[in-house]
Amino acid sequence: MGFLKAEFRKTADAVLAIERLASAGIPKRAMELYSRRPIEGYPQALRRRSFISLGAVVSAILLGGSATALMFLIQRDYPLVTGGMPIVSGWATGVVTFEATMAGAVLGICLMLLWESGLLERRQGTPVPDLPDQGVVLQVRCEDDAEIVAAILDESEAKRVEVAD
Amino acid sequence: MQPSSVREAKTHARVRDDILGRMQGASGGYLAAVTFFGGVVAWAMFAWAYQIFGGFGHTGVRRPVYWGLYIVNFVFWIGISHAGTLISAILRLTGASWRKPVTRAAEAITVFCLLIGGMFPLIHIGRTWQFYWMIPYPNERLLWPNFRSPLFWDLTAILTYLAGSLVFLYLPLIPDLAEMAGQSSGVKRRVYSILALGWTGSARQWQALERAMKLMAIVILAIAVSVHSVVAYDFSMSITPTWHSTIFAPYFVVGAIFSGIAALVLVMAALRKLMGLEEYLQETHFVNLGKLLILMSLIWLYFTFSEHLTTWYGNLPREIRVINVREHGFYGILFWTMVACNFVIPFILLGISKLRSIATIAISSGAVLIGMWLERFLIVIPSLSTPALPAAWGGYAPSWIELSITAGTFAAMALLYLLFVKAFPIIAIWEYDDGISES
Repeated sequence: MGFLKAEFRKTADAVLAIERLASAGIPKRAMELYSRRPIEGYPQALRRRSFISLGAVVSAILLGGSATALMFLIQRDYPLVTGGMPIVSGWATGVVTFEATMAGAVLGICLMLLWESGLLERRQGTPVPDLPDQGVVLQVRCEDDAEIVAAILDESEAKRVEVAD
Repeated sequence: MQPSSVREAKTHARVRDDILGRMQGASGGYLAAVTFFGGVVAWAMFAWAYQIFGGFGHTGVRRPVYWGLYIVNFVFWIGISHAGTLISAILRLTGASWRKPVTRAAEAITVFCLLIGGMFPLIHIGRTWQFYWMIPYPNERLLWPNFRSPLFWDLTAILTYLAGSLVFLYLPLIPDLAEMAGQSSGVKRRVYSILALGWTGSARQWQALERAMKLMAIVILAIAVSVHSVVAYDFSMSITPTWHSTIFAPYFVVGAIFSGIAALVLVMAALRKLMGLEEYLQETHFVNLGKLLILMSLIWLYFTFSEHLTTWYGNLPREIRVINVREHGFYGILFWTMVACNFVIPFILLGISKLRSIATIAISSGAVLIGMWLERFLIVIPSLSTPALPAAWGGYAPSWIELSITAGTFAAMALLYLLFVKAFPIIAIWEYDDGISES
């Protein structure tokens, strides 16, 4: 297994190369684009489904629900002197429930970002290309298809194609 | 004419080198400023230690004014903290490209103000070492905090806001931290690399970061509004004259955004002058923020008028007394100064287009900050010194401890900012670069 990298001046040229690689049967997991800034017109072939919002909602419900349950159980089991007010007040509990729900959403976003972006992940020998000040770098993991990948990249508008190490 | 790709390459490298270059070294003026503000903070810490060892009786807080400058400062600083989240989040969500050089300065204000403002409940409770009694934890005496208490709401709201703001500041810093790791060496490189969490600039990471930032902007907006509403509930849940008002929460939120914008303008003006960021923080940024400032000034005036009109028309003796105390005599001078600072000065300097410049926008912002501090003071002190029972009326004079700690918080804000601009790029390099390529 090895890696080939190609440096492109324009993102559009890299996108074209990705589409050709994808139609040649190269799995999208094997391709990655690197740049110094977010890529506009992100190639459909590499687009991944994001679960960050789902993670945020689940985490928000979990933390908000846990905080509400904690307040309910504590107030029911250890009754406070409330001067005639209900032991468990929906209005007063609502404030804390809201804040805990939001805290859960923040936590969920952070965890999902770390998971989805692969930050903190062990790279298992994947080389990290040096990024040019302009343009993008396309890196492709090759198995038995190194020749096909090299041919497609050579035919593309890449500034240079080389083995990544 | 150069191809656009070559122009972009020059731009990215220049922006990066320029912004990172300004972080290098420290001038004599910078060191003098750090020493001065550090000294004031140290004095404030001494005053706080004196209060802790000597007791809360050393402050001017006593019956009937149980909340003094500490609560005034608490509300003021939490209010200013809205600069970062609201401005950055709203502009990010609406896709306003002019926000790019502004957002990090704003987000840093939020974190520092929350750290400073969040200290005041700890200072105010007197027995600071027992602060953990506010936290719900299983204990052998089966004691739990009162979940109906706005003090507990404050704790949850401020901690949530602080966590959210830290994340909101940190996430867009990650690509710049990786950039800085690549440009530095030794210990600095190691520290920045750790903070960058292994950022490589892969499309997968950019996609996740942009998605996370959009969601964070939505969440942080909701949190920001809730936090100052909860701070308002501290007041409006009591039956103290003029506090038990249904519009207090939105009134406080409006005031918070108002003072937050003013603080951001002042910080930007200082950064522009002291760090030579004229190329990045241009007049158009100040003019746009100036327009927001005058809008908030009008909304503030509307809320203030509504609040006073309703109280006056209701004509409840205990509330009318507070209104009279607030608008006449010593407090009257402060009241009309507040109106001048929050409405008259911004309205003249920002409303007349010929007068609108970076200097006048900064002057208006300074006036607004003074006015908003006075507003917090006038909400807290006159109401408490004129309770419903005339026999309980009293006055309030802050002691040297409260004044020292108040001065210390302003110095702490300046000090934190001075240290931050030398450790992290105050303008997001990747976002600014993105802005250039879009244009």
